[in-house]
Amino acid sequence: MSLLGWSGAAAAANGEPGQWTNGQRLFALQVQPVFAAKCVACHGDDPADLGGAFDLSSRAGLLTGGESGDPAIVPGDHGAGSLYDLLKWEDGYGMPPKETDALTEAQRWAVRDWIDAGAPWPDAATVEAIREAHAPGVTVPTSGGLSKDWTERRYDPADLWAYQPIDDPPIPPTPEGFAAPADSADAFLNASLSEAGLAPAPRADRRTLIRRATFDLTGLPPTPEEITAFLTDDRDDRAAFAAVVDRLLASPHFGERFASNWLDVVRYADSAGFANDFERPNAWRYRDYVVRSFNDDKPFDRFLTEQIAGDELVDSGRLEANSPEGIDALLAVGFLRMGPWEHTGMSVAKITRQQFLDDVTDTVGQTFLAQPLQCAKCHDHKFDPIPTRDYYAIQAAFATTQFADRPVPFHPEEAAEFAGEPEYLRQRLEEARAIQRRIAAKKEAAKKWYADRGLKYGNLNQKREEGAPPEEIAPEELELTVAEYGLERVAKKMLQRHGWELDRYKPMAFSVYSGASPPMKPVFAAMPLPKDRTKGTIAASAILTGGDPFSPGTPVEPGVLSAALLSVSPESEDPVPADVTGRRTALAGWLTDPANPLPARVYANRVWQWLFGRGLAANANNFGGGGATPSHPELLDHLATRLVRGEWKTKPLVRALMLSDAYARASLHPDPAAVAEADPTGSLLAAARPRRLTAEELRDAMLAFTGELNPAIGGAPVRPEIEPEVALQPRQIMGSFAPAWQPNPSPDQRHRRTLYTLKLRGLRDPLLETFNAPAPDAPCEMRETSTIAPQALALMNGRSTYLRALAAADAVLATDPDADEAAVESLFRRAFGRPATDAEREACVSHWHAMTTRHASLHFDPVRPPTEVVRIAVEENTGERFSYVEKLEQAADFEPDLGPDEADARTRGLAEVALVLLNANEFLYVE
Amino acid sequence: MASPLALPRRDALFSLGASVGGLALSALLADEGFGAKAPSATAGDGPTAPKPPHFPAKAKRCIFLTMEGGPSQIDTFDPKPKLRDVHLQEFQAGGEQKSAMASGKRYYVESPFQFMKAGESGADMGTNWPHLAGVADDLCFYRGCQAESVNHPTAMAHINTGNRFGGDPAVGSWVTYGLGSENADLPAFVVLPEVSHPQGGAANWGNGFLPAHYQGTPLRAEGSPILNLAPPEGITRDHQRRNLDLLAELNRRHAADRIAADDPFAQTLAARVESYELAFRMQARVPGLIDIDGEDQATKDLYGVDATDTDAFGRKCLLARRLVERGVRFVQLYHGTWDSHDQLARAHGNLIRQVDRPIAALLTDLKRRNLLDETLVVWTGEFGRSPDNSPRGGIAYGRDHNAKAMTIWMAGGGVKAGHTIGATDELGAEAVECVHPIRDLHVTLLHLLGLDDNRLTYFSSGRFKQLSQFGGKVIEELLA
Repeated sequence: MSLLGWSGAAAAANGEPGQWTNGQRLFALQVQPVFAAKCVACHGDDPADLGGAFDLSSRAGLLTGGESGDPAIVPGDHGAGSLYDLLKWEDGYGMPPKETDALTEAQRWAVRDWIDAGAPWPDAATVEAIREAHAPGVTVPTSGGLSKDWTERRYDPADLWAYQPIDDPPIPPTPEGFAAPADSADAFLNASLSEAGLAPAPRADRRTLIRRATFDLTGLPPTPEEITAFLTDDRDDRAAFAAVVDRLLASPHFGERFASNWLDVVRYADSAGFANDFERPNAWRYRDYVVRSFNDDKPFDRFLTEQIAGDELVDSGRLEANSPEGIDALLAVGFLRMGPWEHTGMSVAKITRQQFLDDVTDTVGQTFLAQPLQCAKCHDHKFDPIPTRDYYAIQAAFATTQFADRPVPFHPEEAAEFAGEPEYLRQRLEEARAIQRRIAAKKEAAKKWYADRGLKYGNLNQKREEGAPPEEIAPEELELTVAEYGLERVAKKMLQRHGWELDRYKPMAFSVYSGASPPMKPVFAAMPLPKDRTKGTIAASAILTGGDPFSPGTPVEPGVLSAALLSVSPESEDPVPADVTGRRTALAGWLTDPANPLPARVYANRVWQWLFGRGLAANANNFGGGGATPSHPELLDHLATRLVRGEWKTKPLVRALMLSDAYARASLHPDPAAVAEADPTGSLLAAARPRRLTAEELRDAMLAFTGELNPAIGGAPVRPEIEPEVALQPRQIMGSFAPAWQPNPSPDQRHRRTLYTLKLRGLRDPLLETFNAPAPDAPCEMRETSTIAPQALALMNGRSTYLRALAAADAVLATDPDADEAAVESLFRRAFGRPATDAEREACVSHWHAMTTRHASLHFDPVRPPTEVVRIAVEENTGERFSYVEKLEQAADFEPDLGPDEADARTRGLAEVALVLLNANEFLYVE
Repeated sequence: MASPLALPRRDALFSLGASVGGLALSALLADEGFGAKAPSATAGDGPTAPKPPHFPAKAKRCIFLTMEGGPSQIDTFDPKPKLRDVHLQEFQAGGEQKSAMASGKRYYVESPFQFMKAGESGADMGTNWPHLAGVADDLCFYRGCQAESVNHPTAMAHINTGNRFGGDPAVGSWVTYGLGSENADLPAFVVLPEVSHPQGGAANWGNGFLPAHYQGTPLRAEGSPILNLAPPEGITRDHQRRNLDLLAELNRRHAADRIAADDPFAQTLAARVESYELAFRMQARVPGLIDIDGEDQATKDLYGVDATDTDAFGRKCLLARRLVERGVRFVQLYHGTWDSHDQLARAHGNLIRQVDRPIAALLTDLKRRNLLDETLVVWTGEFGRSPDNSPRGGIAYGRDHNAKAMTIWMAGGGVKAGHTIGATDELGAEAVECVHPIRDLHVTLLHLLGLDDNRLTYFSSGRFKQLSQFGGKVIEELLA
């Protein structure tokens, strides 16, 4: 299909192209745009205030010149007038006045040639006709920009690829010299390889392949047993690998791994960020909903609809609220409010509301349309056919979306066991209440002192200010100290915070509803569903001038992207109703309409990225003119077509791609020089792309290495040990400090997969952060993998990596206590999934022995977690320091991992070997 | 003993000139004796290699003094005698932009402090800034700046990153991205936070969408200055060397086929090997580089080190001087909290006493070492304070947040020293002269460092992003 609805160069209305002179064309296409951009602001826009009395807005003005009296131009002779010389900016003087604004050489030449051509000045209609006839590219009908220029502007069709209907492109024939493709996706890749004159790398060996596949599909390394089973499978390579892939797709860890990918895109976190960084105690249920959805192979159109409008499906009666489907739908919309957000006593309601609206609009754009809509917030989009009107139309679909922490029963598959945890929170709450009681008692005593004397109560400062005589001021011991004033606030904040955190264990959902906007109050507890959802104001939507919520402009109705092919049903220009409810359901309907080419392409591209390391379109969140164009557009369409035809299911597509030739290639090409020459970016996939483990995979792989990993699925967030300095780092929140990071007392909980660790915006595990886990403030389309020295420091010196090394050494020695070579061998198998070579084994054994000798003279004291931490704060009303003790109540129950104090020198010596293996490139890279 | 895999260690490092990030490989290998003066090393050609500015500029680095919590302009550098006349008269704030806090009765309150004209330039300062008054002629006060948010975390994110809602790179990250580092042994962008991190935490010095090489590195006042810099307990340098040698051997072997085939991925693997060598050297070098114990007693006294009120901030200021002297590009110091809603006289009085001597010492010390000319020093909060007492205030007066008026000052390279630019209204409620938003302050700061905000861009989420978000103006009045 061609560019339906988009028009190319139109026939000229004013004058025939053949009649225009070169001078006229120069004027219309080059000279006048330069004058408009560089000159007329001072010389023409305001006839009453012409700089130097010089008018560049008409030919007459140029002929007359300015106050000097000399003509600016003499038609036919560029050297005769003053203008051309001034534009040259010689001798330190020229026009425009700032040298940095000076015209380019090409622009000056255009002016020169135009003067020499007689300086023709065609009328406006002719200018427009010339521009129209010469304009490259196509126009795109939209709901209209803020200016006519924008509305009529032209696009390079290549930049609009994502907006075109999805073709089902024919599968290319097998090129000469290529084997028949394993999957039709290979046919597309082979065609471009053949065109580039490249042969694909051979198939990777089984050991490499199972490691790659297991990390890609589960985020975990294969166990030694799984490797052995694959290596000894006597079926042919493809059949044996297909069995591995089927096992991995059936594993519940598949859902975890794909959820991890998805949570990057949707900026998932367990806390709200900003001043208080309050925990979002029920966010984890959204995370588990995502895991469940991938494991159940929920069709992507369904998955999308639930996240955009799940609550409306329930509230409209289409889904039963307490059914598994209804529960999932209510949890799914947590997506909408997952961005950083808070509303405190210092917040301005309009601003925080707009912050949500901007976040959700942009995130929906990036997540489902691969179109960062933020670009159209203050003006029409600079590159793409998205008028700012569309931005606010899509935003209007969320104008009646309201936050609520709704009662939602636990899903039958949810892990709703919270042994011990709520009790710790109750201890903290009781401690805060005790502080309050103590301070209240003291205040009472002071009040009584005044009452007994018939005096008015007041604090010391008030009394002094009032000039009360000393005998009418209560004795100092009845006055609250600075520390007590400070503690009063600390206790209040503890009650707020930990009281809210108890909701973690309740059947509630981080969710939304559609309704009128209630008045905003500071939010420091769950937001209940209102009894009457119509109470409040129905927000009117408008284009906000400059993106400012205090400057509403033209009103807008809820809508969708208006660029021609995206109006799914042409007869109803606008598929989203203006009713209070149903807006998001309609938006989801538009998104999942098979005629809308974006979501299917976007998701197919993500799946490709999750398996091959980089999308076919390399900017998975930006298919617009600002993003990279796809390396294999037909392949992307082919995959999108398969996705939709396969009822939007993920697993069949993943399975097919896993079994492709391309996925199974070796990462070292036999002729790297030829690949580097013909395909410097590696986009043709002549060889597989090696990759570093993600931060989460790295931590999980370390736990798998030691055998400590607890593979349980789902549940409330857990807290592993992180660097103690960071765990105890004082962190300001409004009026107090955030609580310390207390690791779970039970190793079982600490050694859960990283997906389940508490993800606070204001306190990130430095190990994960340094290995490029993205900050959850905005959608992340792809992980960065920088190599920085702090990573080496974390892995060589960090306490948690050292404990893993020790645990691995201990585990290995437990099974085979006496055979040195067997122990090293076992470490290699655990770390790299392969036996050690003789040389490696010998080197490691000898290192071990040397280290054991050194360790024999070392003594380690046990390290126990601190039971309290002293917080030194500045009491904000006095600027005076005070301190209080934060009790770390979980320390008493803490069951430590094996520490160096409990390990003998031989174990510690072997731990040094294990630590080296954990740091090795072979451990960190998947090839 | 000789290992069967043993190779000369240098061979195991492969040939790699590129940086390994944040802290790039440098002359550390050769330069074990660090001189006190010149920056020791340059950062090769990696992401943090020194880059020329967009245009020549005097200032080459920046010390950013962040007075977190919002210092009151009225009670520091912008006296308002008129407040004496309206003291305790009722004041009405309103409008849609007010927060829930801004309710209840409010009263104008006069400043509890006395004021003086300091220096030849006659700069307005409270009399409780006796030390800073001594360098008043080096300062350029600016009273025209306006913030956009009256909420701490958003205002802090704004002054630190240009974006109220966070997620963007910090000013120091942008500057480092633009100019690179002059010392490969130290991070290019160093933060000296208070013991407690500010609201918003590490995002205040995060690299946002810029590569991780440009993120700020907080230095701890106590213990290991950089996280995990010290090896685990009991592990000596020699121990660790042995581990690293074994690691290098394993890595060498692992990459052997790729090196033989000249596969480009071998470079990535080599970069990781290099990062370990760099980390190993940093462990030995960094503590000494930042240790102020080597400073003479007179210098320590100048900064108020070991004196009760000034010790904490004095150490930071002295460390800041050591850092810029060693080529660190951007040093940000935190002090606070200046959020004095009540007991203004005591709260601000204490805070001023804590910073007055250290800051004056910093300027004096930079000057006598001929560093002030090429160092830009900025003093600012995230917003100013209101002329009326806070709704939380009792009879002991305080002030509320105020985005419409704040005083900042700059000193050093390229700054119009000895001038006061801009003005607020007669009550200090709102800037009225030479008024500019924070983005213009950012553009000006970049300009002073030779960077053009419109050229210092990075493509992310579909557009070229810049510190000022959408462009801004240089505040010409502040330039020498």
